[in-house]
Amino acid sequence: MNYSHYIVHSPQSLNEALGILKEKSSEVRIVSGGTDIMVLIKDDLVKEKELLNLSYLNELKYIREDEGTVKIGALTTYRELEKSDTMNLNAPILVDACKTIGATQIQNLGTLAGNLGNASPAGDSIPPLYVLNANVKLQSAESERVIPVSEFFLGPRKTKRDPNEIITEIAVEKEKPGTYYFFKKLGLREANAISLVSVACMADLSEDKKITTIKLALGAVAPTVIRAVKSEKLATGRQLDLNLVDEIARSVSEEISPITDIRGSAEYRRRAAYGLVYEGLYEVLMGTAKRVSSGLEGVY
Amino acid sequence: MDISVTFTLNGKQVTVKAPAAKSLLRTLREDLGIISVKPGCEAGECGACTVLMDGKAVTSCLVMISQVEGHQIVTAEGLVRDGKLDPLQEAFVDEGASQCGYCTPGFVMSAKGLLLEKPNPNENEILEAIGGNICRCGAYPRIISAIKKVSGEQH
Repeated sequence: MNYSHYIVHSPQSLNEALGILKEKSSEVRIVSGGTDIMVLIKDDLVKEKELLNLSYLNELKYIREDEGTVKIGALTTYRELEKSDTMNLNAPILVDACKTIGATQIQNLGTLAGNLGNASPAGDSIPPLYVLNANVKLQSAESERVIPVSEFFLGPRKTKRDPNEIITEIAVEKEKPGTYYFFKKLGLREANAISLVSVACMADLSEDKKITTIKLALGAVAPTVIRAVKSEKLATGRQLDLNLVDEIARSVSEEISPITDIRGSAEYRRRAAYGLVYEGLYEVLMGTAKRVSSGLEGVY
Repeated sequence: MDISVTFTLNGKQVTVKAPAAKSLLRTLREDLGIISVKPGCEAGECGACTVLMDGKAVTSCLVMISQVEGHQIVTAEGLVRDGKLDPLQEAFVDEGASQCGYCTPGFVMSAKGLLLEKPNPNENEILEAIGGNICRCGAYPRIISAIKKVSGEQH
């Protein structure tokens, strides 16, 4: 544990932060909530000697909605998302996922952009962002650009963010009232456990229980979070019954490419993915799964 | 590199010089004499170092001292008023909610964070609020009783 050799820049505005990055982008590590980097610093695993602490950029702490989307400032914490009426009404699947991250103490510190920038394949806010067709806004001193979350990740710990860029905003599509959704994860305990497998799903069913649209995203089963596109195709337009629940869950477990690591084997992850998808879709079939509410009275 | 940080600690303004990337936990213990805050895992997993930052429970091992400028930090020491324990602390004593006591300040601060937000929490909310705290003596039932005992009171 050697704290003393780091220089920490603590800009008071986004412009100041972008200016610092413009000067020395490749030598600086960005710190948002700090929940990941402090563990690395303790173990002397951070190679950069300079840190860019974004925690004073209050201009990046907001949740705003317009017609079709909710825009989330990069420094919004998990807990702030959980407590937001706008989020609970329009993107409850992301709220459910944030509630499973770490424990209360972590949720009070960690930020959505930090989870994205950190680019762990097991980042729990990320599968919901895939099914919400999220867009990631990146700003540098010179320019800004927007990348769909599905194209943002290149691999474990690797993203399309250039060293001189900061993630400043995440925009998610509003979910339609009535849509079924679930976020399920399997970890080694309930609090403070990194996911072995996580699943985010949103599905619309017709009156006679035909699947009109379905989106399935999985975490911790591939180098990045993935959409189970083949399984989505297989499911669309078909009558949801017990056989189809099994067929979709089986298809998902075959479509993923998990690895064996300290938390579990590849085979275990495939079975767990089957189990989580089966359980979630079974609840949709039985009508006990959660649905997006049309008003706040239905939320709490 | 050392920096100077000014913040409110248990109601009093303090200024401390410390390495910029040092954790709030280590700064509290080593530079400010606040030893109720315990180092356990120092990876955010055990909750022994929990403090309130602007009224919210956070693991102080994961907060960099550079992030604390201008914030309000409260530790178990800060719950004592005029030499009198906070009702929550009293309840921990009355219920015998600890054995070795190492985790106790962290549990108290997590519970305080909950009670500040929800003065009358239900059992699920209590369990969720202390989900990030570990007691290896296994005093959980008494810890939960202690928190329940002061639920519904003014905080």
